[in-house]
Amino acid sequence: MKHQPDGKTVAILTDVTKCIGCRDCVVACKQTYNLDKDVPRRWSNDDGLSSRNWTSIIERENNTFVRKQCRHCLEPACVAACPVGALQISDEGPVIYDSKKCMGCRYCMLVCPYGIPRYDWDLAVPFVRKCIMCFPRLQEGKQPACTEACPVEATIFGTRDELLAEAHRRIKAEPDKYINKVWGEDEIGGSRVLYISNVDLSFLTYGKNYDNKSVPSLARPAMNAVLPTFATMAGTMAGVGWIINRRMKNMQTDELEENQDNSSSAVSSDEGDSNNG
Amino acid sequence: MDRVHRLKSVLWTIIGIAAAVGMTRYIFGLGATTNLTDRVPWGLWIGFDVMGGVALAAGGFVVTAIYYIFRREELHPIVKPAVLTAFLGYLAVAFGLLFDLGLPWNIWHMIIFWNPHSPLFEVGWCVMLYLAVLLLEFSPVPLESFSAWAKIRSFLIKWKLVLVILGISLSTLHQSSLGSLFLLTPYKLHPFWYTPILPILFFISAVYLGLMMASWESLFTTHVYRREKETSLIAHLVGAARWVILLYVIVRFGDLFVRGQLGSLAEINYYTVMFGLEITIVAIVPFILTMIPKVRDSNPGQWFIASFGVFGVVFNRTVTGGLAHLVQDGASRYIPAWTEFIVSAGVVSFMAILFLFFVEHFKVWEQRAADPSVDPEKLPEFDKASNASIGTPLLAGWTKNSLIFISAAAVGLMFMSGKKVASQGIDSTPVSQARGCEVLMVDGNLDGYGVKFPHAEHITRIGSEPEKCTVCHHMNLPGDSQTECSNCHSEMYQSVDAFRHDWHASSDGANISCFKCHDKGKPKDVDSAVECSECHQDLIPAGATIKVDQYNAPGYVDALHIACIRCHETYIDTVANRKIDECSSCHKGAITPENKKFAEIVMTKVKAGKFQITPEIKKDRE
Ligand code: SF4
Ligand code: SF4
Repeated sequence: MKHQPDGKTVAILTDVTKCIGCRDCVVACKQTYNLDKDVPRRWSNDDGLSSRNWTSIIERENNTFVRKQCRHCLEPACVAACPVGALQISDEGPVIYDSKKCMGCRYCMLVCPYGIPRYDWDLAVPFVRKCIMCFPRLQEGKQPACTEACPVEATIFGTRDELLAEAHRRIKAEPDKYINKVWGEDEIGGSRVLYISNVDLSFLTYGKNYDNKSVPSLARPAMNAVLPTFATMAGTMAGVGWIINRRMKNMQTDELEENQDNSSSAVSSDEGDSNNG
Repeated sequence: MDRVHRLKSVLWTIIGIAAAVGMTRYIFGLGATTNLTDRVPWGLWIGFDVMGGVALAAGGFVVTAIYYIFRREELHPIVKPAVLTAFLGYLAVAFGLLFDLGLPWNIWHMIIFWNPHSPLFEVGWCVMLYLAVLLLEFSPVPLESFSAWAKIRSFLIKWKLVLVILGISLSTLHQSSLGSLFLLTPYKLHPFWYTPILPILFFISAVYLGLMMASWESLFTTHVYRREKETSLIAHLVGAARWVILLYVIVRFGDLFVRGQLGSLAEINYYTVMFGLEITIVAIVPFILTMIPKVRDSNPGQWFIASFGVFGVVFNRTVTGGLAHLVQDGASRYIPAWTEFIVSAGVVSFMAILFLFFVEHFKVWEQRAADPSVDPEKLPEFDKASNASIGTPLLAGWTKNSLIFISAAAVGLMFMSGKKVASQGIDSTPVSQARGCEVLMVDGNLDGYGVKFPHAEHITRIGSEPEKCTVCHHMNLPGDSQTECSNCHSEMYQSVDAFRHDWHASSDGANISCFKCHDKGKPKDVDSAVECSECHQDLIPAGATIKVDQYNAPGYVDALHIACIRCHETYIDTVANRKIDECSSCHKGAITPENKKFAEIVMTKVKAGKFQITPEIKKDRE
């Protein structure tokens, strides 16, 4: 798959100071995907996201409104986790979901550092639901429904480079207004959905102690060790088995109940296997 | 005899109730049968059935390694039962997944859709491969009874060592990759558990558990079937296990030390208690007990040691799998529902039944049971009073057990509620229709903060001709001419579907075929549907100025603000005393702080041009 380089990939910049909390983006999203009316359920998080609400407005201190949605990470944990590749980074950049592949293990929900993917807990045939950055609309050359709907341009669409530059420009122009940080620029590997804000946004992350390492990179050493471990273990076991078998054969001449010839030939053939592995 | 039969009755009862829960899960979804939430997507079924099932199967690879590779012949009596348990453990995993997966019929997707970066992918493949290996490893035992298969059997025995080595290597990967699963959850798993060496810790504890599990099985079956006790063998096994757990504890604490977490163990909170509990159960108690020779060599002592060891590791898996996950502020902790417990118990019971079936019908043990009545090769039974044959014990047992199963399932179903799980939190706010006659009180949610709308006065001003009504009344339900706003805009703040699809499609309703509305050959969705007015000519009154172009009706608040503000923007001059940018000009009630905030939002929308009239309408008015 041919991916856009990180800078050229599509992105969304949300300026928390501009948002008036009208929830037009939420409505636009729901209408675009024909999402059901949402009733808060026992299993809902209090952040307003659900399988029928792919974006939500969270009210924070000082009358600020923060729009929550999938961050479309540059190195998404969900994509690395999904065993069947139902979650993928599309060529354009958005992290999209293929319900035909999904088997419902919900590992993606467990690993997302922002707690984004939601589940149809009330359905007999449930799917994982999350923002797909209006992937179908992007393909038609349109911008996402939410950024289009925003009446005050608090959330805007563009390429990641453009928006990062714009974010830094705004912070520089009004350093007193903003916290000097672009959320999503590089924490947890960076994301395609960026925020600038006058309030602390670390509440969007699960847990407080995050750094810039992406989640998939944490499991990489273990995953790389898989085949070597297998080969080493098979080799060691075959070797040890062979040596011990030899010793025992020398020591005892009778009363072995398993046919030794067979077992020793089996051992040597397995050594061949493990070398290939 | 009665020990086995009593045990089986209990097992079948549990399986029966679990079956009832299973049915409910497939009809009403996971929400109805579990306490899982969007925050806690993995619960007991993964933590116990899957993580525990795999762990319990560790006996297989540990015992085969010691016996076939290190050639410790004294283990001979427990090799076959250990392989059998491993096989059943993995079967339990697959079985548990049938309940836990949202789309279990897609479980085979892992074979064709690959994502080798995923730890779960690795786990899945190891389960599949190892299950196959175990099947081949164990099948010589049942095949012994079928002479037609003798060739295959001898072939399998010939290649046994290869299978064993494959099995050991797969197990190594698999036990450790269960730990790797949680490497991707650095922000959820508490730092006492989250460490880069999780896979190593999981592997060491799996070896420990393997030894403990083999001992436990031997204790259990010798008790149930009154076989001769294998006391000295078990003393060996648990003796070896204690050094493994010592290594585990050293690595675990060493890791905590390196990561600088040792200090935080001194505090008392949920996580330190969990940690302490875990270490006590898994390590301290069994270790101390095994150090006392008297306890180690006695049957009750071994029961204690093995049970603690097994439970300890399973507990560790469950804790890592969910109990030690951090909760966000204000969220409540996950406690499994009773339905979850019963399904887990059901899966275990089913595996136990299978285990009993195998040991009763095939030569899993070299040594026969001491009690002849539980020997598989028994004679038909006779009723004591009438001397009539009640069939072979097998058939009699089946009759009784299926009765137990069916009654238990029936009782279980009684406790299942067919309803979808009730909602909690803020409910939707239904809208009540405007009251009054010449002056309407428009107050959808009846909070008193409504608007007095002089309907009659508007008619006088605009005109009473039918085409004037359509300035506001833009849609009537079929066969109606004065449909209320609240009829479609029936939710205060949310948009709702104004189209009743279920009624149109239902045989009790309109009973029309799909293709009356949807184009053939296209997905049946909004895009392929015709417009309502194709059939309902009277739906949109002629000359309506507000366009209806979607099946969703906006929330009541939005709809009415749009309707009023649009018009008044145009006629602002003619209604001088109505200033649309002042809430109080329409809303005469007291403005509470909450209302004020809400009002500000609405006003910002107005100012940002969101509620503006479209140019055509403006032209229309001029
Ligand atoms: S925010 Fe979560 S769901 Fe969205 S791409 Fe990142 S890991 Fe995946
Ligand atoms: S629930 Fe579906 S999308 Fe999520 S990790 Fe599992 S298979 Fe992939």
